[in-house]
Amino acid sequence: MLVFRSEAHVDRWLAGRSGGVTISITKLAELAAAWWSDRLDSNWQPRSREKNQAILDELGLIGDFWHLG
Amino acid sequence: MTSVDVAIRNGTYAAFVELGRAPTIREVADRTRASVSDVAASWARLQDSHALVLDAAGAILMANPFSAIETPHRVEAAGRKWFANCGWDAFGIGAALSVDCTIHTTCPDCNERIDLDIRGGRPLDETPVFHVLVPAREWWNDIRFT
Repeated sequence: MLVFRSEAHVDRWLAGRSGGVTISITKLAELAAAWWSDRLDSNWQPRSREKNQAILDELGLIGDFWHLG
Repeated sequence: MTSVDVAIRNGTYAAFVELGRAPTIREVADRTRASVSDVAASWARLQDSHALVLDAAGAILMANPFSAIETPHRVEAAGRKWFANCGWDAFGIGAALSVDCTIHTTCPDCNERIDLDIRGGRPLDETPVFHVLVPAREWWNDIRFT
């Protein structure tokens, strides 16, 4: 899970290999806020797979690649 | 999680935030007034529930989003610094702390430094992109690689 300077840098880095999925840095910020903002809460509990999937779904990160299984 | 595990987890994370590095088992035992063996047992249970990742010696490797080892992803906030496990976790540290922060990372393609100021949860520079190489269903198959 890596930050690149631009999509062109991702393509050059992959050099023809099949990669994963590239999202904008603003979408990553939204994802991080939804995923991690409760991590230091004193009553934090591990989230269920369903709740994690709901976070991805609500951010429009849908499809087979984003399916937690 | 049991109340003991909640207390050990909270003590572990509080120490990580405060110290800017992973706490030792002794530091968490002292902080939580538990025995070293109780902390070790709790950390093992927390790892089983994906709440921590331990190394082969039983020490903290990841208290996501914080990393115990040096990585290319460094986060500065509130006068302190932490290593993050990946680009996602780097954003996660500011989110978890609810503070503005600066992320220092490196483009894997060109090795140029990327410095991202995050204000109100948003990066001021929206030029960089984020690449997820591993499909979501495989994230925990090898969390170190992910």
